[in-house]
Amino acid sequence: MSITKKIVLGLGIVIIIIGIIGAMMFFKPQRDVQNTKTDFSYQASEIVNEYLTDSNNANNKYLDEEGNSKVLEIEGLVAKISEDFNNQKVILLKSATDKAGVSCTFTKDTNEHTLNIKTGDKITVKGVIRSGAAFDADLDMYENVILEKCDIISK
Amino acid sequence: MKKSFLTIVALVAITVSSFAQKQVSSKTHLKFFSTTPAEDIEANNYKAISTLDTSTGDLVFSVPMQSFEFEKALMQEHFNSKKFLNTKANPKAKLKAKLVNLDNVKFNTDGSYTANVEGDLTINGVTKPINEKVTFKIEGGKINLTSKFNLTLADYEVAFKKGKPSTNIAKTVEVTVEANF
Repeated sequence: MSITKKIVLGLGIVIIIIGIIGAMMFFKPQRDVQNTKTDFSYQASEIVNEYLTDSNNANNKYLDEEGNSKVLEIEGLVAKISEDFNNQKVILLKSATDKAGVSCTFTKDTNEHTLNIKTGDKITVKGVIRSGAAFDADLDMYENVILEKCDIISK
Repeated sequence: MKKSFLTIVALVAITVSSFAQKQVSSKTHLKFFSTTPAEDIEANNYKAISTLDTSTGDLVFSVPMQSFEFEKALMQEHFNSKKFLNTKANPKAKLKAKLVNLDNVKFNTDGSYTANVEGDLTINGVTKPINEKVTFKIEGGKINLTSKFNLTLADYEVAFKKGKPSTNIAKTVEVTVEANF
């Protein structure tokens, strides 16, 4: 094999590898939250109070710069069950004495796991945190911690 | 005498509370849509909270930015990153506005009404004045709000200087909003 042929072959291989890596990055699937290791486990009141005490500190601890934020398991009392515009079930975990709770949004794959849940049940939910609890002066109300891609861990 | 005093206190309390006509919505949908010859990009968010005071016309939206979902994971990571929306530093966007022609909207009568909304929109930590049209549909006492408007990304310091995002993301994106109160 001549030296030119070797160079052409080598370059070809490099280009193919770069192409494959590029395609893998471009077509990288969405994060599978339920198959991601849980980072923290709390009672609903604990994460709410941590946010109400120091939201900057909590955002630093839980939010990720690229949106791949911490995966939490939250235990709490079911205060409300609803559905959003995307037909996803939303379960609010909140104790009556807390100012805010943890709002857990399920997916079209996990929606059915919520069917036998009723208000007052004590359950544990796993999901990814999107934003924290805070008192918003413009809304004039407390906002809940938001978890998405949720599923029920135990009930 | 004591009894009538208590009655007056109760009446005043009821009147005062009926003035506070604040409606809360946690059933919302926000959509960003960007189109360029290279590709169309769409992101959806179902987690915003909104309050509407039908007596004063005050309208507020609080939007958790990390709840925007894209078709491709890489786009979502770009969106959240420091170069774009910096959602770790600015986890929420906020609209704080007022209905200008509040009298035109009969919140207690079924029908469709258009209103002008004027106020401030804060995205990426940057606050700019905003003035857009919203449509209210009232049906059986339930309030539905919809709106569609364009945002210029550079206004909110979301700039793509070079690389693929600068050619594949439009300079102006279309925003669609819906909320059920």
